[in-house]
Amino acid sequence: MTFQDSLCKLLSAFLLCFVIAGCSDSTSSSTVNQKDFNKIYPPANGGTMIDAMTGEPSGLIAMIAGESAASAIASNIFNSLLKYDRNLDLTGELAESWEISKDKKTITFHLKPGLKWADNQSLTSEDVLFTWQKVTDENTRTPYGSDFKLVVKAETPDPSTFKVTYDAPYAPALDTWAGLHILPKHLLKDQDINTTAFSRKPVGSHYYQLVSWKNGQYLKLTRNPNATQGQARIDSLLSRIIPDKAAQFLELSADNIDSMGLNPIQYARIFPARPELNKNIALYKELGNNYTYLGFNLKRKPFDDIRVRQAINYAIDKQEIIDGVLLGLGEPVASPYKPGTRWSNPALKSYPYDPAKAKALLKDAGFIDSNGDGILEKDGKPFAFEILTNQNKEREMTGVLIQRRLREIGIDANIRVLEWASFLGRFIKPKEFDVVVLGWSLSLDPDQYSIWHSSQQAPGQFNFISYSNPRVDKLLEAGRLELDPDKRMKIYHEFSKILLEDSPIVYLSAGYGLSAIHKRVQGISNPAPPAGIGYNTYEWYIPKVYARHEINEQ
Amino acid sequence: MLKYLLKRFIWMIPLLIGISLISFFIMHLAPGDITTSEASFNPKASEESRQKLRELYNLDKPIIVQYGLWLKRIATLDFGTSFASHQRPVFWQTKDKDGNITLGMIQEALPITLLINVLSLLLIIGVALPLGVISALNQNQLPDRGITLFVFIGFAIPGFWLALMLMYWTGVQHSWMPISGLQSLGHENLSWFGQTLDTLKHLALPVFISGITGLAGISLFVRNGMLEVLHQDYITTARSKGLNEQRVVYGHALRNALLPLITIFGLSIPGLIGGSVIAESIFAIPGMGKLFYDAVLMRDFPVIMGILTIGAILTLLGNLLADIAYAWADPRVRRGVVQ
Repeated sequence: MTFQDSLCKLLSAFLLCFVIAGCSDSTSSSTVNQKDFNKIYPPANGGTMIDAMTGEPSGLIAMIAGESAASAIASNIFNSLLKYDRNLDLTGELAESWEISKDKKTITFHLKPGLKWADNQSLTSEDVLFTWQKVTDENTRTPYGSDFKLVVKAETPDPSTFKVTYDAPYAPALDTWAGLHILPKHLLKDQDINTTAFSRKPVGSHYYQLVSWKNGQYLKLTRNPNATQGQARIDSLLSRIIPDKAAQFLELSADNIDSMGLNPIQYARIFPARPELNKNIALYKELGNNYTYLGFNLKRKPFDDIRVRQAINYAIDKQEIIDGVLLGLGEPVASPYKPGTRWSNPALKSYPYDPAKAKALLKDAGFIDSNGDGILEKDGKPFAFEILTNQNKEREMTGVLIQRRLREIGIDANIRVLEWASFLGRFIKPKEFDVVVLGWSLSLDPDQYSIWHSSQQAPGQFNFISYSNPRVDKLLEAGRLELDPDKRMKIYHEFSKILLEDSPIVYLSAGYGLSAIHKRVQGISNPAPPAGIGYNTYEWYIPKVYARHEINEQ
Repeated sequence: MLKYLLKRFIWMIPLLIGISLISFFIMHLAPGDITTSEASFNPKASEESRQKLRELYNLDKPIIVQYGLWLKRIATLDFGTSFASHQRPVFWQTKDKDGNITLGMIQEALPITLLINVLSLLLIIGVALPLGVISALNQNQLPDRGITLFVFIGFAIPGFWLALMLMYWTGVQHSWMPISGLQSLGHENLSWFGQTLDTLKHLALPVFISGITGLAGISLFVRNGMLEVLHQDYITTARSKGLNEQRVVYGHALRNALLPLITIFGLSIPGLIGGSVIAESIFAIPGMGKLFYDAVLMRDFPVIMGILTIGAILTLLGNLLADIAYAWADPRVRRGVVQ
């Protein structure tokens, strides 16, 4: 029996351990190194930066892979003709300059001299032409071809000149060329781009090249000696795939990774409460890339009535959503453009929270609480509808706040949360919804023809709320033809103004992009410029004394 | 015996077809397809190009035709290529004309999941057997109560919470264990021994978590089996013969109490290839659970069907193995099979 007794003791000791481990709110973290990371050193080359991402790229040819994990890695490997600079203005990347013809239909790109691929072959306009041919090829499995199919003629008069001609002036053209990664013709010309092994062994021209890819574990990039944009300071980038945010956070606390994206709770609650984390890790906040909105199905009654839409807009407290859901880490928006950029109309303000006005508008529209149950009625029918959203915690919480505010003015709203593919396939595509809570990106190019133009309402197209306003249609068409930035700006300021008045959607909030980066990584712009902290990653550096492998040796 | 086996094998073919047919239809009952993924909800992606993708993947054809195409491929043991993961082969590696080898998705995920599950099964058996025996021998006494309490706590504790707590305790507060992942970053530079040790260290927590939550079932099963056997007449006989207690308990009682466990292990064979989505996500382990979950979310039909088919085959084989093992262990069953 002694064996059994000791086993019992062992078990209870074991149990005790759990309880202690579970209950101790010990702040006595014993991070291995107690080094002071607050000293700033001059820029130096070398080091490895480790970050974490939740998803794994399916491949590194961005036009085919499509997901954000793929573009995040691929944009370190491949160049585009143009890029956005720190203030979100277009500037040349592979192209040294570009000019637009008198009739505004032809764009001529002049490539920088002496461009090379990582394998020492020279990068010429032939490669650009080849990439264009691939993205527009019927057999290429890309959803992004349509912008490039507007090009009626693409030519390469000489190895450093690439010329495209459109049927009609197309203002978003430059933006599309800033998003197309140029691929090497000499490696891909005999390959099927949909299945090629190249997508897992890419050869590019940007700062880094891929050295290893362990499925489900990590991707490692190292400096490309032939980089077309000069040399980056950090030697290698390692991206670990850790699907769970909480696990990422533990890895960051244990100093196994250098950077990760945070959610508002981690940023606003956990970090302030844990001083020992702030010693080694710096937090960054930048303008996010998308906004959340409440969209009406304008084909359904009573949302076809502008008074009803405006009433709901007045009834929703946007600041409450920003404070409650994003913990204050967001901004209200009044147009579908990044606040503070050229396209966003500074004169526009989002609808203030004004329940009295909302009630008055609804009364105007014929909604009266005739039976005294607290819910408004019209023609004997109570004003009730369903708010649909997908499985996204922030959108769900937003829905709940909206539900309460609507109840206060006498609208009975239910919330229904769906898995994404069902949401899209069963409700959005056949337009079987009353109201949705969703997000759109705050695009860098102002053209939003596919979202708001009345011709874009067929199933599967993006104007699924069926917005139709002839004035907006005209402006959107004019904006596509106008290449002069100032005139274009006026067009889109006018467009946003009408959109805000019409209130086909209620702008709710634009959350900040939040990230935590270890202080060993220096040279990061703080506060972030409009383009976000990532615009100059090639200038980031890790001082020798802080480099990771040296720490491990101590 | 041989005839019996042959019969069982032949029966598996219509069963498999039935299973795959039902799986295929249920899979298509869920709305959406690969073109309704979150990434495709991008104004830069046009509906025409998505329609083109649907045609390329035959998703515009009636479901029965799609099933026929799938069946035709599977008849040649071709599990196809993934829609979502750049046409990676679903099951086994392929080699292109330049000699580049692309590993299959199941080929990569299965060994990892299998290793974790086999290790945790061994852990469960290794711990649950003695626990169950001790419980039975001390029925309703302190050790029995303590063990029952312990296994139920293990059963009831949320795995993800325990996982995070242990990761924090062993990885952040003390650097005893790696937190997540399958290998350390310098893994390939280690010696053979170092690599094994490194992998085992990474697997320790996931195996422990899945073991602790699975302990309750088996240990209570052993306990109750033992109790039942200990009250049989032949145990009384053995004791009255004057056999020592060790012999009675381990030689006579335990052997008989373990018989029903064979069924349980037979049933757990399909479970061996199914990973846990939550554990794999938290520990960042690229196993079968995450593979299947992501495939379902992406509506990556070839991958879903591939995993379901292989799962079905293994389940049927597991049942067969359990029956054979039963026949081997229990003469009464053996006689029934041969006749």
